Amino acid sequence: MFTGLVRTIILYILIIAGIRLMGKRQVGELEPSELVLSLIIADLASVPMQDFGIPLLTGVVPILVLLCMTMILSVLTMRSVRFRALLCGRPSIIIREGKVDQREMARNRLTVDELLEELRGQGFTNPSAVKYAILETNGQLSVLPFATQKPPNAQQLGLEVEQTDLPLVLVSDGRLLERNLASLGLDRAWLDQRLAERGCSSPGQVFLLMADRKGTVYLARKEFSV
Amino acid sequence: MKRLWGATALLIVLLVASLANAWYSNTLTQHLAQQLQQAQQLAAQGQWDRAVQLTQETYRHWNSRHFYLHSVLRHSDTDQILRSFRCVMQYLELEEMDQYAAANTDLISQLELLSEMEQASLVNVL
Repeated sequence: MFTGLVRTIILYILIIAGIRLMGKRQVGELEPSELVLSLIIADLASVPMQDFGIPLLTGVVPILVLLCMTMILSVLTMRSVRFRALLCGRPSIIIREGKVDQREMARNRLTVDELLEELRGQGFTNPSAVKYAILETNGQLSVLPFATQKPPNAQQLGLEVEQTDLPLVLVSDGRLLERNLASLGLDRAWLDQRLAERGCSSPGQVFLLMADRKGTVYLARKEFSV
Repeated sequence: MKRLWGATALLIVLLVASLANAWYSNTLTQHLAQQLQQAQQLAAQGQWDRAVQLTQETYRHWNSRHFYLHSVLRHSDTDQILRSFRCVMQYLELEEMDQYAAANTDLISQLELLSEMEQASLVNVL
């Protein structure tokens, strides 16, 4: 029992550390090699977690080797375009000028239903409205419509629009984030004034408070305490 | 670049550690097997007391490496060897030459197999 507990903690920490080292991309978008790695690591970790008759090292050593290999490959893919193409593949153009490339679809084992589903997901019901649809190496379909199908932007309409600043969270669930307050060039007096305007006496009463450099404030009061 | 060198260095460390483990397990088991063979020769000459002494010494040597053995080898394999040691010592106390010789040979081959499993060879990889 104790062995299982300690082993699980060790393997969990090792996997989390490994995934953090691989970078944020690992969590959301998996390249083929990263998908394989995730599956193997999960399997390797689960065996010594459950079977106490196997030394912990038989799980730890292969995981470390896999993480090292991934690290080496990721550095090499960054440095060499050829190596990147070999390991991760190249993006495939599935729709070109509104015409579906059936050979490319077959090469990527992409069915018509899957293609239409992806297009619908991005707001297109017909491939003829799409200038390019590119199947990226992580399996996502990037859809670029014909210019006539794109909504006009402010520049095309000749409109002058105000730029928005990035709002920062100043109070999160009752906790004041002083670093964000300072990075906006604001101080505690300013914050207390904003809180008083909205009937709050302290940050502890606030669920979320966001502000930008122009002084735009969003405040949500705490409705209950956990 | 730091990550590349760090990962490469860790891989090299793991490779060296695995080769060192192969060498150490081979040295350890060879030494133990030699002592057990020596004990069997002594028993065959009728020197049962010395054979018992030598086998007990071998057993203590094996037990003193308990942490290492449990860290790198399957526990079922090390437990089997422990059981075989006790069996051999029992036959030694009874001075049953036939039974003892069979059990001792079995123990020696188990030790050899254990070391063989850890060796860096193509056979093991395949």
